Amino acid sequence: MATASGPARTFVDRFPSEAGVIKANLLVSFVALGIGAFFGLVQALHRTDILRVIDSADYYTMLTGHGVLLAIVFTIFFLTGFFHWATARSLDRPAVSTLYSWAWFGLMTTGTVLATIAILGGLVPNLGISADVLFTFYAPLQAHPIFYIGLAMFIVGTWLAGADWFLSYRAWRSDNKGERIPLQMFMVLTTMIMWYLATLGVAVSVVFFLIPWSLGLIPSVNPLLTRTLFWYFGHPIVYFWLMPAYMMWYTILPKLSGGRLFSDPLARVVFLLFLLLSTPVGIHHQYLDPGIAEGFKFIAMTNTMFLLLPSLLTAFTAVASMEHGARQRGGEGYLRWLGALPWRDPAFTGMALAGILFAAGGFSGMINAGMNINYLIHNTLWVPGHFHLTVGTAVALTMMAGSYWLVPQLTGTKLYSRPIGLLQVIMWFVGMVFMSNAMHRAGLAGIPRRTAEPQYQNFEFLTPIGSIFELRVQIALGGTLLFLSVVLFLFNILLTSLGEESDRPVDEYLPEPLSGPEGSPRVLDNLGLWTGIAVVLVILAYTLPLAGIIQNGGGLFGGGLPIPATVSAGLDFVTTLVTTTVNTLLEVAA
Amino acid sequence: MAVDSTAEGSAASPVSQASSSGDVPADAATQRGSSEPPVDSIVGTADDGIVRQIGHDDFDPVGTLILVVIYMIILLSMWVFMYFIEFLGRGLTVVG
Ligand code: HEM
Ligand SMILES: [Cu+2]
Repeated sequence: MATASGPARTFVDRFPSEAGVIKANLLVSFVALGIGAFFGLVQALHRTDILRVIDSADYYTMLTGHGVLLAIVFTIFFLTGFFHWATARSLDRPAVSTLYSWAWFGLMTTGTVLATIAILGGLVPNLGISADVLFTFYAPLQAHPIFYIGLAMFIVGTWLAGADWFLSYRAWRSDNKGERIPLQMFMVLTTMIMWYLATLGVAVSVVFFLIPWSLGLIPSVNPLLTRTLFWYFGHPIVYFWLMPAYMMWYTILPKLSGGRLFSDPLARVVFLLFLLLSTPVGIHHQYLDPGIAEGFKFIAMTNTMFLLLPSLLTAFTAVASMEHGARQRGGEGYLRWLGALPWRDPAFTGMALAGILFAAGGFSGMINAGMNINYLIHNTLWVPGHFHLTVGTAVALTMMAGSYWLVPQLTGTKLYSRPIGLLQVIMWFVGMVFMSNAMHRAGLAGIPRRTAEPQYQNFEFLTPIGSIFELRVQIALGGTLLFLSVVLFLFNILLTSLGEESDRPVDEYLPEPLSGPEGSPRVLDNLGLWTGIAVVLVILAYTLPLAGIIQNGGGLFGGGLPIPATVSAGLDFVTTLVTTTVNTLLEVAA
Repeated sequence: MAVDSTAEGSAASPVSQASSSGDVPADAATQRGSSEPPVDSIVGTADDGIVRQIGHDDFDPVGTLILVVIYMIILLSMWVFMYFIEFLGRGLTVVG
């Protein structure tokens, strides 16, 4: 460990090879961000009929590119880079093998390039390669095999990356018997366990069904089965996006505010709750799918409502840590302390604004989660309105803001411009307020998502307040501001990396939490136990629905049409009872 | 942890003093007049502005409580609003 005396040693000086790997991950992430944001701009202008530069048939190619490049490539490459940083930093030791780290990075990148070629191939006429399947790649939409193969390589790459961090942890453990797992390492490990559990579903779907089907080896798939396997993974991926953001809110944001994390044990409990509860809820994305009995949907809804608990705990802790910082910086009063926060620091301000929009996203998420209310907004523009607040802002803006603090540690150069950084995060916030509120309201008016030309003959959408035209303008304007914000971000980061080396490029010291892990129960660190419980919950939540889907949908490989299903009321009752009891017990135990 | 650059630590380093002065450093009173806005200053220097240390037992997050209550009130009123907009005047949506 470095001391206060002597020249400050930044991360890149202490861990040069790790810094190299992390920079490569961030590079891929930011390239994807740039391309994806451009597609987003094109979509926002196209579907509002403000400016149509592409053919409407190509809209879906772009939309696939936008979803995959932003929701999968940008977020996950940022995560792998960030987790690699957190592992080395919190254990204070380098990765076990740099070559191995480059290997998983190479595999992930190759997979990404293959999938991207398949998607963008759709823009080239007569090429015969396309993947206009949207980022959910539901059958019966079919992509070129290299899309699925690229996807599989990417996922295996993330598995290997996780193994890298587990190996570091094992090496640390053998030198530090009996010590508590450092907090950031704990967060990396629990997130990766959740990821291993969740990606099994999508791996089975891609390897056993979609790849053979796209190669023509099997004639059909059971669409509902592949959809369900997708959503088995599709909800936990939400937490895979969120966990790096939460990790920044718990471990970095307090420092950026001039304070300290309120409670280390509380942070551990939250990550464990996410590990347990994020997988057995995927069916809440399928409330309108025929072929899954209502009872199972009800169980998924119950589990989802339990997920509110760790989210609210996070909101409380993040705000309390900021308040602590503000008061240490001299803030007073009931709310006047807000003015004592370091609003000129783009890393702080970006994360704080991301948190505000996340709170709004929490509301629309509760609407989505309710089985009956969901019917109002299902597949409307409300849903993109919601997730541009969550993944599109809480995660994306936190990642961009965090980069202002993280990247200088990797390059050894100062941030090129703090004012531009500040302008950038504010622009994102304003742009998103425009785009997202208009999307929500357009959804309430019934305007569908995933539609190039949401306009129909002899039919007008109506809004209770404002006009449809005003909503279209807001979406286009918001989209433009968001795109410009990304341009500023990339420009600032690029010039930062080209800058001059500095003795003190950034203040990277992280203070200890106000209450440390010492007094908390050791069982929190028993990862084996929690993994076991998570597996049991998944088995409880998914065995019967999957059995029903295979039975009613014409077997593993389909062939028939799925028929609406009901399971006998008794069975429903028993499963509801068991899952809720287990959930309640877990609550009590936690 | 990494380099300690809280108020004392960074005050020793000339680099940080020059560049972070816009963020109200510990000795703000003596510095404020002379300092330029932080055009290219360092990210993450909020703790240079710490004027007092507040321990776990002295910290009473009353502001957080107020913000959480405000959020809850907004949530509740939006639920009520939704009830009027979406349910009254339409048929009931029934599960099953
Ligand atoms: C420049 C900023 C952005 C703009 C202008 C933008 C715009 C849009 C628009 C208009 C749609 C809806 C298209 C439709 O349903 O017809 C959309 C969908 C989507 N966006 Fe964004 N977006 C931006 C940033 C992001 C970010 C940062 C993320 C995630 C990290 C994201 C993830 C998605 C996803 C997953 C979809 C759904 C794709 C699908 O339906 O398959 N977007 N975006
Ligand atoms: Cu979900």
